[in-house]
Amino acid sequence: MPKTPNIAVIYFPGNNCEEESLKAVLATGMDGKIVRWNERRGIEKYDGFIIPGGWGYEDRIRAGVIMAKDPVFDIIKKEAENGKLVLGVCNGAQALVECGMIPGLKNKVEMALAPNKNPLISGYYCTWIYVKSTEEKNRCAFTKFTEKDEVIPMPIAHGEGRYVTKDKELLKKLIKNKQIIFRYSPKDGKIEENFPTNPNGAMYNIAAICSKKGNVMAIMPHPERASFIRQLPDSVELKNKFIGNIRAMEDPAPAMRVFKSMKSYIEEEIL
Amino acid sequence: MGGVEVDLVDIKVMSDKALKEFLRKNAISLTVYEARKVVELIGRNPTITELYIFNTQWSEHSSYKSSRSVLKALLPTEAPNVILGPVEDSGIVELGYINGERYGIVVSHESHNHPSQVVPYEGAATGVGGIIRDVLCMGAKVIATADPLRFGNPFGKNKNKVKYIANEVINGIAGYGDAVGIPNICGDVYFNDSFDENCLVNVVCLGIVKEKDIIHSYAPKNAEGYDIVIVGKATDNSGFGGAAFASLILDEKDRESNRGAVQVPDPFLKNVLIRASYAVFEEARKKGIVLGFKDMGAGGIMCSTSELCSDGDYGADISLDKVNASMKDLPPYIIACSETQERFTWISPPEFTKTILKIYNEDFELPQISLGAGAFVIGKVAKSQDYILRHNGRIVCNAPIKVVTQGIKYESQKKTPKRKFKEPNLKEPKDYNGVLLEILKHPNVASKAKAYKHYDTSVMGNAIIESGYADAGVMKAVNGSSFGVALKTDCNPRYCRIDPYWGAVNAVAESMRNVAAVGAIPSAITDCLNYGNPEKPEAFYDFYEGVRGIADAAKHIYLKGTAYPVPVISGNVSFYNESASGKAIDPSPIIACIGVLKDYSKAITMKIKKEGTTLFLVGGRKEELGGSVYYDINNEIGAVVPIIDFEKERNMIYAIIDAINAGLLLSCHDISDGGLATTISEMILGGDAGGEIGAEINLDFTNLRADKAIFSETSGFVFEVEDKNIQRLNDLFRFYKLNLIKLGKTTREKNLVVNKQNKKLINLPISRLKEEWTKGFVEALE
Repeated sequence: MPKTPNIAVIYFPGNNCEEESLKAVLATGMDGKIVRWNERRGIEKYDGFIIPGGWGYEDRIRAGVIMAKDPVFDIIKKEAENGKLVLGVCNGAQALVECGMIPGLKNKVEMALAPNKNPLISGYYCTWIYVKSTEEKNRCAFTKFTEKDEVIPMPIAHGEGRYVTKDKELLKKLIKNKQIIFRYSPKDGKIEENFPTNPNGAMYNIAAICSKKGNVMAIMPHPERASFIRQLPDSVELKNKFIGNIRAMEDPAPAMRVFKSMKSYIEEEIL
Repeated sequence: MGGVEVDLVDIKVMSDKALKEFLRKNAISLTVYEARKVVELIGRNPTITELYIFNTQWSEHSSYKSSRSVLKALLPTEAPNVILGPVEDSGIVELGYINGERYGIVVSHESHNHPSQVVPYEGAATGVGGIIRDVLCMGAKVIATADPLRFGNPFGKNKNKVKYIANEVINGIAGYGDAVGIPNICGDVYFNDSFDENCLVNVVCLGIVKEKDIIHSYAPKNAEGYDIVIVGKATDNSGFGGAAFASLILDEKDRESNRGAVQVPDPFLKNVLIRASYAVFEEARKKGIVLGFKDMGAGGIMCSTSELCSDGDYGADISLDKVNASMKDLPPYIIACSETQERFTWISPPEFTKTILKIYNEDFELPQISLGAGAFVIGKVAKSQDYILRHNGRIVCNAPIKVVTQGIKYESQKKTPKRKFKEPNLKEPKDYNGVLLEILKHPNVASKAKAYKHYDTSVMGNAIIESGYADAGVMKAVNGSSFGVALKTDCNPRYCRIDPYWGAVNAVAESMRNVAAVGAIPSAITDCLNYGNPEKPEAFYDFYEGVRGIADAAKHIYLKGTAYPVPVISGNVSFYNESASGKAIDPSPIIACIGVLKDYSKAITMKIKKEGTTLFLVGGRKEELGGSVYYDINNEIGAVVPIIDFEKERNMIYAIIDAINAGLLLSCHDISDGGLATTISEMILGGDAGGEIGAEINLDFTNLRADKAIFSETSGFVFEVEDKNIQRLNDLFRFYKLNLIKLGKTTREKNLVVNKQNKKLINLPISRLKEEWTKGFVEALE
């Protein structure tokens, strides 16, 4: 019998999205477990890792910095080099950038997730947005079921989600390398770079970046909070269609494809 | 009487004058009478530690000394769905049975008004922190919070201070709730002058627990010799005197000296503590161990440990030297009574204590996460009914434990105040468009997105309807089941200013309507009673009338399917909400209503869903504009507030619940602040203000002058129905003896049109509605 992909959702002290992340993983048919930061012994046995959102180590100094220095990250980094999957969501995305795994071109920190620029609310901002898939499917391990130009609803919930860099060439390189996987977009897919389409002022409306190899992704919006129909707001027609249909409410919503893609990739490329 | 080994305060020899001076010098708020009462009750002069203990325990905040008898006499707290009434840290109401097991919704509702006025960020944040502990300590999984807020006039003479406090309170709620990771699912915000010097910050928290897994806030049976274990942040001097402070009237010039009474929040540590506590719950359930567990809130270690033991009919013997203090040489009364945040107390059999210590100290590494934090055994549950505290090896407190915990009681006087309200004589407006836009822009009506989008509304992934999208927030309750929980808070302060009784009735009715408007059955309410100084008979009258109003509404709008009242399962009293000049806030009995949905997939929002559907109204319009927004924009308050006809209200609520659960409604919104025109405008816009379907309605159903018809806040609902469902809806409303009023249609044209006798009174594009509705609250905070 083929092995079932097995995912570790790492809880660093202060993270708070570990449960819903695990739920999304399990709903795809993968196995998974919430693993505490200090239970790192033996985590090499997992096929993939999710670094969930929250406030790991209280976001001391800067969001994600201390998490990136935790010994568990040395193991995750090594496993990623061996081709295993790493998905960092929100605070997890910040940590992947802070440890240099994303974008991962120079083996050092190349970008930052700066405080949001938002005319309505300064600081933490939680709302529903849309992201547009920028590259062909199969470009990375997280979009095998997402067509290029497809628009997907997800919530954001962060205070520091603005992708920035001092390296003037970096954006060009990321575009050339096809590493920008999701961009903030209106529902109709016609991207404009201002608020509210771009909720945090990120350069080039970047919502998610993958590694060059495509096995690591840092995404600021929360796919695990948009993976079931029931989680969607009434501004997404799909939800309204299923009012009163309890079974459909537990069916996958578009963002679930991120996790389904992980499963398929692990089955085909790792196991 | 129990002996002590330190000096006594010789109260017996002091004259009243000397005693008063002594109390003042030592920042003890007890009256001379109360200090002498201490001597009488413990049979000797007290130690200074004992005096501080009674200072805390006999504060209004802890003892409910003025309110207890009124609450007990009036509020209905029993119904078949009550699992735990208002006796422990939280109340518990039935969610339902899942796989043969009974589940409960744990609810707590409190105020953090005074701390928020003095240090708004920390005050609001620790309010959220405290309410989460109250729910967690029942053994529950914490699932949601809510925040009803009342601020001063953002455009009045104190506007700068008001805006500062409002913004900082919102930041504090966000800063704590976002980090700890509990979604904020609803709330409400009102502004008016009466809150200029005394804001209200109420907090509500929900949890879920299986009935058999409830952990009580008392030492279990046969607990003699059990360990008393404290866990959490290292104890410091923060919040010393907090409970007593909550019972003072705020004076701006004391602001600096009051700051020390405010606690310091640490949501990061709390995040870890919550998860570690879940792990303890799981181990204890696996091993079948019965524990006691209690939040450390007002009165700190002393209050938590004494109540845990006293409520199990035990005493306690505690060594304060074993407390993990983060400051050196703290006097015993500070260790015992400081309100350092993020702490709990466990009562545990010795064989299980090591599991508790391992989970907190090793598995979750509390000592590494926060300096000095951890779990520590500080004493034992004792058979003798004495409360003993030791410090430096000497007994510093030794008092009968029931005396420590039973509090003190007063019978306050009430007197009907002389208040004169009269109805204004307003001319019918010529520019209805302008009036509606002004109402939509009013900060009490306008979209509160600037507040709730600062809160995490989707964390945990179980939100079905997030803040702002509907009249109530809705959560999926339990994994693998279809149950949903709805929650909403309400209370219109201007109604209560005019009439404290009908204001309270309206608060209850509106909270129930809001929960019904998503399809949930109002199953319990909680009340946070925010009033002025109870020593003033007029203020106490307002309080009494408020409680009477809550009780009448709860008793007459029965729990659906029974003849029982909708039970009051938790609450809090906050007195002394007045400014230094003696001006009390508007009476504010803030109600939270908890609704149950058997099938959360049926829950609907307020946004209009389809073109060409029909909009109906239930609840005819009456001339009840007292306290309305319409009067407010005309600088009037009026006299006639909405009067609730209980039988009709009950039938409306039931009919709406039945209609939604039968799938007959596409959207639904109750009528409240701003009246009918506002209700329809908000249905067009929807919570995200992204609505694109218009509506055209006709006022020929009423003989009222048009402005009174569309701006009166008489209770009712507006809802959207497809043609194919109209017949069934008619039958349903006939069953409930209700008149179904056809208002008009939803339209492809992106406008709101209101006609009367073929004359267009209102004709506004959706873009204009949106502009004003999304602007008002933002401007109030800027």
